[in-house]
Amino acid sequence: MFGTLKEIVQKKGYLYLFIKLAAFLLLAFFFDRAIGGIFQKFYHSQTSGWEYRTKYSIEDTKADILIFGASRAQQQYNPVYFEERMQQTCYNVGRDGEPVLYYYAVLKAILSRHLPKIIILDIENGVFKESESSYDRISILLPFYKSHPEMRSIIDFRSPYEKLKLQSNIYPYNSMLLKIVKGNIKSGNKEKVDMNGYLPLLRSLNEPVRTVDLSKPYNLDSNKLNCYKAFVNDCKTANIKLYIVNSPYYFNSIGKDISMEIAKDIAYKNSIDFIDFSKDDFFLKSPQLFDDTVHVNMAGAKIFSNKMIDSIQSKQ
Amino acid sequence: MIFTSVVFALFFITVTILNYLLPVKFRWIWLLLSSVFFYTYNNPASILVVGFIALVTFYSAKKIEKATTPKIAFQYYLLAIILNIGVLVFFKYSNFFTSNFFDVVNLFRSKLFHSNAPLHNYFLINVLVPLGISYITFQAIGYLVEIKRGNQTAEKNLGHFSTFLLFFPKIVAGPVERAHNFLPQIQQQKAFIYENFSTGLKLVLWGLFKKLVVAERLSIYVNSVLGNTEHHAGITLTFAVIFYVFQMYADFSGYTDMALGFAKMLGYDLLQNFNRPFFAKSVTEFWRKWHISLSTWFADYFYNPIAIAKRDWGNWSVVYAFFTTFMVLGFWHGANWTFIVFGALQGLILTIEFFTRKARKNMRKKIPDLLNSIVGIIFTVTYFTLSLIFFRAESLTAAFTIIKRIFTAKGSVYMENPSIIIFSILGVGFMMLVEFKKEFFNDLFTLSDNRFWLVRNCYYCLLLIIILIAGVFDGGEFIYFQF
Repeated sequence: MFGTLKEIVQKKGYLYLFIKLAAFLLLAFFFDRAIGGIFQKFYHSQTSGWEYRTKYSIEDTKADILIFGASRAQQQYNPVYFEERMQQTCYNVGRDGEPVLYYYAVLKAILSRHLPKIIILDIENGVFKESESSYDRISILLPFYKSHPEMRSIIDFRSPYEKLKLQSNIYPYNSMLLKIVKGNIKSGNKEKVDMNGYLPLLRSLNEPVRTVDLSKPYNLDSNKLNCYKAFVNDCKTANIKLYIVNSPYYFNSIGKDISMEIAKDIAYKNSIDFIDFSKDDFFLKSPQLFDDTVHVNMAGAKIFSNKMIDSIQSKQ
Repeated sequence: MIFTSVVFALFFITVTILNYLLPVKFRWIWLLLSSVFFYTYNNPASILVVGFIALVTFYSAKKIEKATTPKIAFQYYLLAIILNIGVLVFFKYSNFFTSNFFDVVNLFRSKLFHSNAPLHNYFLINVLVPLGISYITFQAIGYLVEIKRGNQTAEKNLGHFSTFLLFFPKIVAGPVERAHNFLPQIQQQKAFIYENFSTGLKLVLWGLFKKLVVAERLSIYVNSVLGNTEHHAGITLTFAVIFYVFQMYADFSGYTDMALGFAKMLGYDLLQNFNRPFFAKSVTEFWRKWHISLSTWFADYFYNPIAIAKRDWGNWSVVYAFFTTFMVLGFWHGANWTFIVFGALQGLILTIEFFTRKARKNMRKKIPDLLNSIVGIIFTVTYFTLSLIFFRAESLTAAFTIIKRIFTAKGSVYMENPSIIIFSILGVGFMMLVEFKKEFFNDLFTLSDNRFWLVRNCYYCLLLIIILIAGVFDGGEFIYFQF
């Protein structure tokens, strides 16, 4: 069946194709390296914006207190109050819409160069819920794949072919062009590292509190669960004081969220403080402190941050 | 296994290398095996359905050809057509028909007998619709009709015929291939031709650009807006509807470019499916440039027979043929009244254009060509865009809600992530610029076919880099896979 192999490779058509393809690939390789290099340079020279916050969290922060989580971390914990009252530096490494896979990857990167004293991990209902988009969202970690080997095992969850795609130097910066440009334009930003990662929300709710049933079943993602377990374990091993928090909501819940129950259970088994504000009466009666039903606004963040500090200080 | 996945890339590279390593006479066998693998990758059981269609069509065609009397030929022909359509109806439309039947029964029960307990539809089937079933049956029916008309001789090799039906670059979403175009290509001794390979690769790259950079990017905005129409202002819905028409085009023509490219790399020429439809000056012309393989299929096997059969009606035979053809074509897209309305809207405008053709011709003589072209293009694209609201909406109520809100809902443009809008506009702009140049200035300076190797290849490298920078790699399937 393969008897004609010798014959066919000798034919001009095939050799011509190989030469042309090789030349094209060489040209594409050259462009990829050159443009990828430019992206890398400008990615790291950002001074503000979303990508800057991620880069700062992974490569620069040396804060004593770090706040991890998704939007409910980023928009509810104001590091200013933590710094004032606890007399320690604080940075909010939370990022809107990111799953627990992201928090753990960032933790691994930080622990490889710096040992914080306190970590606050904010988790929300459905934190271990199976969702395809969670893996899309961690694409923001791709620029660190080559320089941070400790994060690779998590980025590889995206797809078995991620390693292959990452042979390109441009691919890690896919869809980031405008953000990188914007992050570089605001070079005159004098704000202290983007309010130390905190992102205030400014609207106020004006509606009666409603009731939400949390007991609806859903599939759990074992990768997310394992990352959470590893997060707890790594903090424990490094002797970092870890607080896991379920921050306030503006709704009355009935039933129990399966993810939250598992998260609580793991925290208790590892003797980690689990602080639950989800049914805090003060917040449930204060719609003016919320931007929406799951995020407090700037005024709410001030009160909540101070309540968190009270809780931490009472436990120390 | 979608064309934009790494799995498909690995599959195609393996298929292509082995295809050209094998002796020419065995290559069709390899392509058939590869196509079966491709088709059964996600749903192995579906091969039984396609196998049934292939066997029924192949043997019926032979019987039709060998039949001693026209009556016997017709009986075999009718049986094969019924079986093909039966398979299509069973998988694609049975739930629609039974649901509508039970809705009517329940309506009568509640009106006549004041019964509030609806009858349960026991006939709902819950099976995975075999991929590309519409395309496969249409190709089979087209083949049978041509045999019956005596334009095509029945294929003697079941393997060749199965390769015609199952050839993987076209199996999922067309083009709707014709036997007279494809079958002779299987029998030809195909040597490797560098130009074919190169042309195919370029087509694939351009298709990838359309799909990943344009269609997938637009889909982010379109899905978030048209998935929550009640929360968006009229201006936002207008943007989303305009984006949708470009998304649809980039998605489907991008898929087709890739299908044609992959086939070309393997040495096969498939039928053209798009010919820059957004530069059509009337809806009639538009349908000669959009989904060409399907519209010509309908013209040959549906429209023309109806128009000829009803020729006694004069001009009304054309109107009748327009409406029935386009309503069936709409229904072909899916078992939903929205598609039927979409088809009816096409029938309506074609009828209007048919009756006004002389008046428009006279008017064209009085106004400059350029102005005539611009007005014609704008009208055509606007009409098609509006009719696509029915194509996209999940129900007629949802479609009318979108139209109502476009004109009544006040508010500002939804722009949560400006980069999506900017990338979308740049992508559409580049795609349309390339098409504009091909349509009106094809002989002018060209980068893609430049005589200098370096210029030509720098252009394709640039295209590759744009895909890497602006492509959406976490996107979903092609829109037309569902049909």
